[in-house]
Amino acid sequence: MRIRYAVRGIIWIAFYLLFILAPLFALLAGTWPPARDFWTEFAVALGYSGLAMMGLQFGITARFRYVTEPWGEDVIYHFHRQISLIAVGLILTHSVILTAGRPEMLAPLNFLQTPWSARFAVLSIGALIVLVVTALWRVRLNIGYETWHLTHIVLAVVAIAAGVAHMVGLGFYLVDPWKRALWIGLTIFWIGLLLYVRIVKPLFILRRPYRVSEVRKERGDTTTLVMRPEGHPGFRFRPGQFGWLTLTGSPFKITGHPFSFSSSAEATDGRVEMSIRKLGDLTSGIDKTPVGQRVYLDGPYGAFTIGNPADMHVLIAGGVGITPMMSMIRTLADRRDKRPVILLYGSKDWESITFREELEALTARLNLTIVHVLANPPAGWTGEQGFISADVFKRHLPPPYADHEYFICGPNVMMDAIEAALGELGVPMSKYHSERYSFV
Amino acid sequence: MRRLFADRLVIATAVVVILMSILFALERVAG
Repeated sequence: MRIRYAVRGIIWIAFYLLFILAPLFALLAGTWPPARDFWTEFAVALGYSGLAMMGLQFGITARFRYVTEPWGEDVIYHFHRQISLIAVGLILTHSVILTAGRPEMLAPLNFLQTPWSARFAVLSIGALIVLVVTALWRVRLNIGYETWHLTHIVLAVVAIAAGVAHMVGLGFYLVDPWKRALWIGLTIFWIGLLLYVRIVKPLFILRRPYRVSEVRKERGDTTTLVMRPEGHPGFRFRPGQFGWLTLTGSPFKITGHPFSFSSSAEATDGRVEMSIRKLGDLTSGIDKTPVGQRVYLDGPYGAFTIGNPADMHVLIAGGVGITPMMSMIRTLADRRDKRPVILLYGSKDWESITFREELEALTARLNLTIVHVLANPPAGWTGEQGFISADVFKRHLPPPYADHEYFICGPNVMMDAIEAALGELGVPMSKYHSERYSFV
Repeated sequence: MRRLFADRLVIATAVVVILMSILFALERVAG
């Protein structure tokens, strides 16, 4: 599986670079416009590449399962954010180089008198700057997730469409009709990817609704929604994977949120469960979800899943990060897997440990050891307290530490600390798997 | 691990794109 994923990953990286660079080097075929100085040509190349990178962002976030599987959706979104900064940086460098020391090139800033191609450049860069600022500081700017998401898409379309209009309008490199057609075709392809995600895919999801059959209150401000497919067989998932849940309205609305499946992957009737903690935004009213409500699920996604051969599975969960672990534990129990499993589970206090009783019951069906680590332990608590650290590992895991397979899910701060602790213990990176649930 | 790989991929992509842009500019100036 790993080798297959690695090969697929390399193929997709090659495709990605090809889609960025081929349209640039295609400009060197056919008729050449008169050459200019090095810096002007370099700036132009940066502009074309940056625009191609921005356009491909629609592909990166299109949730193509075949593309995202080798890395996992959280990493794809991480890449999307980082590479966006690079692309915007390239486009800004393009304009800085072209205007540096050349006051006449600042004419586009006089919006009323400048040619349309230059106005489009200003519009594109303006949209990109707003796009980056609102993406980086959405919470600080107090922008709601749904409003931001819609604005994000609109700004991206405006930035890219205006960028292409700028280059076609200027026409310096696009004298040959086929080159113009190439870049306009690319733009149509990028917008097509967006339409696929926002229109075609929701149409499929609309035809495969689910119905909430049970709403179960759990410890720790968490609610489990049990959902059954309506008029279709549903899908099978691997333990640890997640789906995008649209709780209210149609799948065309930008209200889908990613949540891990918490039920066993061995269920054959299509039933899936998601256990959701109240953390604001959409989740604040999750416990008020009426039984019988129609919902939509897009999934399964994610590479955070058991299945690798290992002498021992070490599951490390913080707070609601227990949900994918719960799916793994329930699945292993249903499969009568006898390999040892250790769950290191960090919680706020004893009363807020989600699935506490069920986990205890599952120790009878599995070779499962549970280590609770409490931030605020009750009086007389003799177990672990504080946060999960390298010392906790040393006290509870049998060496050699590098032989086990580690699965980590929790808040970002905890994940960073755990990854550092595992590094201290000499666990190679290939042995630990993580899922950051706050990736959108 | 996958995140670290993604970070390295971002840097590698940026380096490749900048190098290719330099190559493009040199080709244009020379040609």
